[in-house]
Amino acid sequence: MRLRPLNALLGGTLIGIVLLAAGLGAVWTPHDPLRLSLRAKLAAPSAAHWLGTDEFGRDVLSRLIVGATTSVWISLLTVAFAVLFGTLIGIFSGYVRGWADRVIMSFNDALLAFPGILLALGLLAVVGANKYGIILALGIAYTPSVARIVRGTVLSLRENEFIAASRVMGNSEAYTMARHVLPNCLAPLTVLATSMFGYVLLAESSLSFLGLGVPPPAPTWGNMLAASRPYLGQATWLGIFPGLCIALTLLGINLLGDAVRDQLDPRMRGAR
Amino acid sequence: MNRLHVAACLLPMLANAAPNAALAQSVTVAVAADVRSINPGVNRDDNTDDFALQMVEGLVGYSENGTVSPLLAEKVDVSSDGKTYSFVLRQGVKFHNGADLTSADVVWSWNRYMDPKTDWRCLSEFDGRSGLKVEVVEATDPRTVVMRINRVNALFLDTLARTDCAMAAVVHKDSVKADGSWEKPIGTGPYKFTEWKRGEYFSMTAFDAYKSPKEGAVDGYVGSKRPQLKEVKFLIVKDPATVKAGLLSGAIDLAEILPSDVEEIRKNPKLGVVTAATATRHVFLMQTRDPLLNNVKLRQAIAASLDMPELVAAASNNLGTPNNSPIYSRSAYYGPVQKQGLRYDVTLAKKLLQEAGYKGEKISILANKRPTVPSFSAAVVAQAMMQAAGINAEIEVLDWATQLDRYNKGNYQMQSFSFSARFDPALGFEQFAGPKDKQPRKVWDNPEAQALIDKSMAVADKAERQALFDELHKRVILEVPLINYYNGVDVIAHSKRLKGFQPWQSKLRMWEVTVTP
Amino acid sequence: MLRFALNRVTMAVPTLLIVAVTVFVLIRLVPGDPAALMLGDLATPASLADLRTKLGLDRSLAVQFGIWFGNLLKGDLGLSIGTQEPVLSLVLSRFWTSALVVLVAVLLASLVAVPAGIIAAWKQDTVLDLALVAVATLLLSIPTFWLGLLLLLLFGLELSWLPVVGYVSISDSPLAGVLYLVMPVLTLFLHEIGVLMRMARASTLEVLRLDYITHARAKGLSEAAVLWRHAFKNAFGPTWTLIGLVLGNLLGGIAVVETVFTIPGLGRLLVDAIFARDYPVIQGCMLFVAFSYVVVNLVIDLFYPVFDPRVTAT
Repeated sequence: MRLRPLNALLGGTLIGIVLLAAGLGAVWTPHDPLRLSLRAKLAAPSAAHWLGTDEFGRDVLSRLIVGATTSVWISLLTVAFAVLFGTLIGIFSGYVRGWADRVIMSFNDALLAFPGILLALGLLAVVGANKYGIILALGIAYTPSVARIVRGTVLSLRENEFIAASRVMGNSEAYTMARHVLPNCLAPLTVLATSMFGYVLLAESSLSFLGLGVPPPAPTWGNMLAASRPYLGQATWLGIFPGLCIALTLLGINLLGDAVRDQLDPRMRGAR
Repeated sequence: MNRLHVAACLLPMLANAAPNAALAQSVTVAVAADVRSINPGVNRDDNTDDFALQMVEGLVGYSENGTVSPLLAEKVDVSSDGKTYSFVLRQGVKFHNGADLTSADVVWSWNRYMDPKTDWRCLSEFDGRSGLKVEVVEATDPRTVVMRINRVNALFLDTLARTDCAMAAVVHKDSVKADGSWEKPIGTGPYKFTEWKRGEYFSMTAFDAYKSPKEGAVDGYVGSKRPQLKEVKFLIVKDPATVKAGLLSGAIDLAEILPSDVEEIRKNPKLGVVTAATATRHVFLMQTRDPLLNNVKLRQAIAASLDMPELVAAASNNLGTPNNSPIYSRSAYYGPVQKQGLRYDVTLAKKLLQEAGYKGEKISILANKRPTVPSFSAAVVAQAMMQAAGINAEIEVLDWATQLDRYNKGNYQMQSFSFSARFDPALGFEQFAGPKDKQPRKVWDNPEAQALIDKSMAVADKAERQALFDELHKRVILEVPLINYYNGVDVIAHSKRLKGFQPWQSKLRMWEVTVTP
Repeated sequence: MLRFALNRVTMAVPTLLIVAVTVFVLIRLVPGDPAALMLGDLATPASLADLRTKLGLDRSLAVQFGIWFGNLLKGDLGLSIGTQEPVLSLVLSRFWTSALVVLVAVLLASLVAVPAGIIAAWKQDTVLDLALVAVATLLLSIPTFWLGLLLLLLFGLELSWLPVVGYVSISDSPLAGVLYLVMPVLTLFLHEIGVLMRMARASTLEVLRLDYITHARAKGLSEAAVLWRHAFKNAFGPTWTLIGLVLGNLLGGIAVVETVFTIPGLGRLLVDAIFARDYPVIQGCMLFVAFSYVVVNLVIDLFYPVFDPRVTAT
C-alpha cells in the first residue's frame, strides 16, 4: 500500500493548522493569554478553559495559540538563518578545499565545539534577551552543523562523474555548484532542517530548565513545556498540550519535508 | 561509605531484607548545591556555613529569635566602658580529636583568622576597615579570653556570631597541616567531619563526647544540641523534581522542597512537611535615581497597586504572611509599628499616577528564575497588578549573576530581589541604605535615615533602639525606596521516621533529630 | 591515510586556539562577577576588594589572559574560583562519567536507529514507514528533562527497580554503578534514536534511487543482499558524520540529563561554572570539550572512507 499522497496530505494539514493558529493568535484568543486569575490556578480542562489553566491561572489554550505565533516565527527564522549561512559556507568550503577550507573548518569546528548554552548566554547578554537575541544565538549555534553536513556531501559528490562532466563541458564553477552540487545536498539538508526546527522549539525549553529563562513577552511552546515540569504530578495537561503541539508540528514538517524533497530531487524527477 | 549507601538502595529491590539497625541510624539529606570548602568562614556560601556549623562552634552564637547568647563561652562580661569583653569558657568541652578546649585554642584560632593569608571572609569586619577593630586578644587564664575593641560597638557580639563568619569558630591546631594549609575541621560541634566527595555528597558522624551547651529545648545554635544520628550524608541533588522523587521513594530522608509541592508531599503517609518563616526578605527594589522612579508619587502608586495578601499567597503558595517591614517577623524588634504596612488601593494608585504625571512609560522589573527564591513568580503577579492600575510594567528575566551585577551597579528600574538573613535590624537596614555615589548597589540614599541607622549601631539600650527602628520603618513605608512584601519560608519535607527536626533560618540543624528504624 | 590523520591533527591546533581566545573573551563579555556572586548581597566594598585581589580579578584582562595562556602551555589549567581545585583534575574526573553515558547511549541508539531507518526507507510510504517516522518524531519532540523525569517516576518510583538519586562510580562498585547509569543512558538513547533514524532513512532513500541498486535488483540479488551490500554501506556515510556531531554536541550538552539524574558529569560542571562565572573552569571545560570533539571527529573522518567508498582519504 502506498501512502505517499496521504503522507503529504497529513503533513500539509498539520502544518496548515499550526499556521492557522499562528495567524489566529495575532488577532484573537479565547482569553487574554497574559491575564492572571490566582483563584483558578492549575484548574483542569473545563468548559470555561478548554485546556485548563497554568500555575498563575492563565488560560492554556490562549497561551498555546499565541505561542504558535512566537514559536513558529522563532523556529523559522533560526532554521532559515542556519541553513542559508551553513549551506553557503559548506559548499564553498567543500568545493574549493585547500587552505581556505582549512581556515573555514577551523572556525566551524571551534563554533561546533561550543556548547549551545554558553553561546546563548554570551550572545543574549550582548544582543539582549529578546526574540531576536534567541534567533541569532540559536542560528549561530546551528550554522556549523549545516556547514559540516553540506561540506561532507560536497566532498563525496565532487568525485562523481557528473561533476567532472559538467566541468569538462566548460560550465563555470558557480553554475556547477548551483546546478549539480546544491540539488544533491537537498536531501540531507531537508532532514537536518526539519530536525533543527524541532531542536529550536525545544532549545529554549532546555535553556529555561537549566535556569536561563529567556521568555519573550509572549509565551512560547518551549517555555510552557519547561514551566510545566514542577506540576507534572498535579496538572499533567500543562506539559502534555505544549508537548503535543511540538510533536505534531514536527511530524507535519517531516512528512511535508519528505514530499517536498521528492519534488525537488533531480534524480526523482528523472526517474518518473 | 559508598557501599553502605548502595546497599540501602539495592536492598529493597534485590531482596526484602529486614532493615539493618546500623543503617537505620544514618540519614540522607538532599541539598541543592555542593559546599565550597570545608574551611569554615573562608571559601563559603550559605550551604557551606550550614555544614561547617554542625561541626564547629564559636564563643557566641545566635539563639532562635536572632539575639546573641554564649555558646563555647559560659558567660560574657563587658567592662563598664563597653570596650573590653571577657569570655569564660564552658568546662569539659572537647575537640573531635579528644583534646580539651582551652583559651589558648581560642587565641590561636583568632590569630589564624586575622592573618590575611587565611582569607577569612570577615577579616575586614574586625581589622578596622569597617570601623570595628579588635585591638587585643589574650588568654588571661586557661578558661578566660579577653578581647578589647577600639570603640563602643553594639554589634560586636552580633558580628562574632554571624554565620557567614562561621561564628569565628574555634578549631584545633591539627585542623591545619604542617605547611599551614587547611586539612579538615577539628572543632567542638556535635558532628565530626567524615567525607567530602566533590559534586556528589558530604557527610558527618556523631561526636560521642559532645557536651551540649544547654539541656532541654533546641534554641538556634545555643540550645540543646545532642547528636542523635550516627551518620548524616548530604547528597547534592539540583533538580527539585528529582528531590521530590527521592523523598517519595525513601532514598532521601529530608530536603527543602518547592512550596508548590507541599500539598502533594503531605498526601503521602510516609512524609511530613514542616515550615517556618526566616529572616530572608523578599523585596521589590526601586532605583530612586531613575528619571521616572525618582518621583516618590510614582513609587507610592506602585506600592498602592499591589494587593499584598494576594501577592504573597501567589509567590509563596499560601505559605507566607505579608510583612512590609525591613525587620523580619520573628525578630525581637518586630512590634506594632512594624505591623503597619502598605495599603492596597487602586483608586489611590491611579490618583497618584496622575499627580506624578505618569504617561504610560515602560517600567521594567528584573527577575531571575532560581528555584530557591520567588523572584519570577512575584514579578509576574506584581506586573499584572501594576498593569491593572495602569502602570506599563514589563518583566526582564536574567540569570542571577547578571541580575546581581545590575544590582551592584544600580543599573535597573525595578528588581524582584531577595535579601539574605540579617538578624539585627540595624544590619537589616544597613543592607539597603547608604550613599549611592560611593556604593551604587545601595537602594535608599537618605542622610537622615543614615544617621538614625548609625545611631542604632552605637546604642545598646533596647527601648532606645526600638524607637529608632520604628522611625526608620515609617520612613521606608512613606518613601518607598523598596517594597518588602514577605519573609522567606523554609519548606522542609521529611520522612516520618525522622523526629525532632525544626526548620530555622534555612539551616538544616541535625542535632536533636532522632530516627526510628 | 597517515598524512590525512596528520593533516587533521594540525588542523585541530588553530581550532583549539580559536576556542581558547573566544571563550576567554565571550565569557568576560557576559555581565557578572564571580567575586560578587560569592559574596552575594552581603558584600561590603572592603570584602569585595579583598576577594577580587585574591582571585586576581583586579588585574587587566590582557594580563589575566597572558597568565592563563602561559600556564595553559605548561599544561596547567589553573584553579577553580569556586572550590580552589585544579581545573584539569576536575575536568578529567567529570569527563569519564559523561563520556561513558554518551558513548553507550549513542552506540545503542545507532544499533537500533540505523537498521530501523534503513527498513523505513526500504518500506517507504507504507504504514510501517509512517509508524517509524512518527515514533522518531515523537522521541525527538520530548525534551530530555521531561523524558528523564517520566523514566524516573516510572522506574524509580512506581516500579522501584532503579535508584532515584545519588551516584556511585563504576570504578567503586561496578554493579551499583551500572544501576545508576541505566536511566540517564536510556533517556539519551531514546532521544538520539529519533535523530539518527531520520538521517539513516533519508540517506538510504537517496541510495535506493541510484541506478546501481536497480542494476543489483535486476541482477536478481535478494532484497536483503541489496540492502546490506549496497544500500547500507553507502547510506551509512552521512549517518556516520552525524554520529560524530552528536557525540561532540552531547559531550558539552548533557547537562540536562546530568541534572535530572544527579550525575557529577562534565555538562553539569560547565553549566554550574557558567552560572557561577567560574572563569577558569569554564575555559578548562570548553577547551577540553573542543579537544575531545576534535578527536572524535578525527576518528569519524578516518573511518569515513570505510563506510563510504565514494570518498577516498587523501
